[in-house]
Amino acid sequence: MELFKKTLDPVIALTIIAVLDIFLFLVVGAWTVGGGETMMTGLIAKGVMGDQLHRIPFWDVVFKPDPTYWKIYISLGMLFGSIVAAVMSKEFYWRVPRHLSEWVMITVGGLLMGIGIRLAFVCNVSTFFGLTPEMNLGGYLAISGIIAGAWVGSLIYKKVLEG
Amino acid sequence: MSAIGQCLAAFIFGSVVGLLVQRSRFCNTAALRDAMLFKTYRNTKALLVCMMILTIGFTAFITVGEGHTMHFDVGVNQILGLFLFGIGMVLAGACTVSTWVKAGEGNVGAIWALLFTFVGMFLFSLVWSFIYWPPAPTTMDHQTHLAALQFGYANAATLQEKTGIPAIAFGIVQFVVLFAIYRAILRKEARMAEEREQAGVAAGVAGAPAGAAAAPRAD
Repeated sequence: MELFKKTLDPVIALTIIAVLDIFLFLVVGAWTVGGGETMMTGLIAKGVMGDQLHRIPFWDVVFKPDPTYWKIYISLGMLFGSIVAAVMSKEFYWRVPRHLSEWVMITVGGLLMGIGIRLAFVCNVSTFFGLTPEMNLGGYLAISGIIAGAWVGSLIYKKVLEG
Repeated sequence: MSAIGQCLAAFIFGSVVGLLVQRSRFCNTAALRDAMLFKTYRNTKALLVCMMILTIGFTAFITVGEGHTMHFDVGVNQILGLFLFGIGMVLAGACTVSTWVKAGEGNVGAIWALLFTFVGMFLFSLVWSFIYWPPAPTTMDHQTHLAALQFGYANAATLQEKTGIPAIAFGIVQFVVLFAIYRAILRKEARMAEEREQAGVAAGVAGAPAGAAAAPRAD
């Protein structure tokens, strides 16, 4: 199949995704990832801590762990779709970062993403593909934050690249 | 729609997104980072096209009272949160979408980033349980609360309600702005291509005598 032989133009890919996102917006809500990830965090924490988790108010007041929360399944779907695409196009293989600096950057980056999503209530996906197209004030605030953050991140990244 | 129906719709949507993003190598991080660092706009253009279509689609349905918009108050926390997120995604080399997609390709670094995103969320849940800021969505009333650095709630639907102008009209304005940015990028790319071409021609002219001189020796 041609789709699995050559790279797809991202404009075509994102156009299809936009149309599907409009359907999702009508059915249940716009595309988002951060909420699903937070719920997964809560479910994992509940699996590890059991009822002790309820001693942390956040998991009672903001995100009560619930496996039927629909946003979880967007993330699981993305993982599934990506595995299928990678296997079909023979692009699946284990890639491991080689340098310690990469591991440090990924660890710090992951932590900042997690903290940032919860502080903002939104992630990059809901910023660009949900809030801003809904013309929500939060989208414009979030875009100003992410552009400034990406700029600072790029300066740090450049410094690390230059060694 | 039932909870199972919602989960199923979300899974199907996610699966198609995962497949398309893997095949197109689209990355939200690259859309911002590459434009800032390397002046390349492959992902930025795709992001803008998607936002243009979504703006028209969402505001058209909001105009007739359809669609599920996001409902919570916004404030300084969106700026601060996405600022931290922006740094994080560039350092990790992946955003929320590409961590899942790259994880599906067998990228251990992306799985590690995902794991620490979860750790970051859990750490923030501990901090939130002491400071209770930003306010929980259940306590929000869509009014401005400057003491809590919250500006309330506003979107295309509230604009339509307050002004009487259909939401789609505001959507068209946003579409035009996004399109102007898109056109500016296309113009910049054309200019850069022209400059490269001119530099190539100049290098070719400068290199011609040396090449001509070398040819007889090779014979």
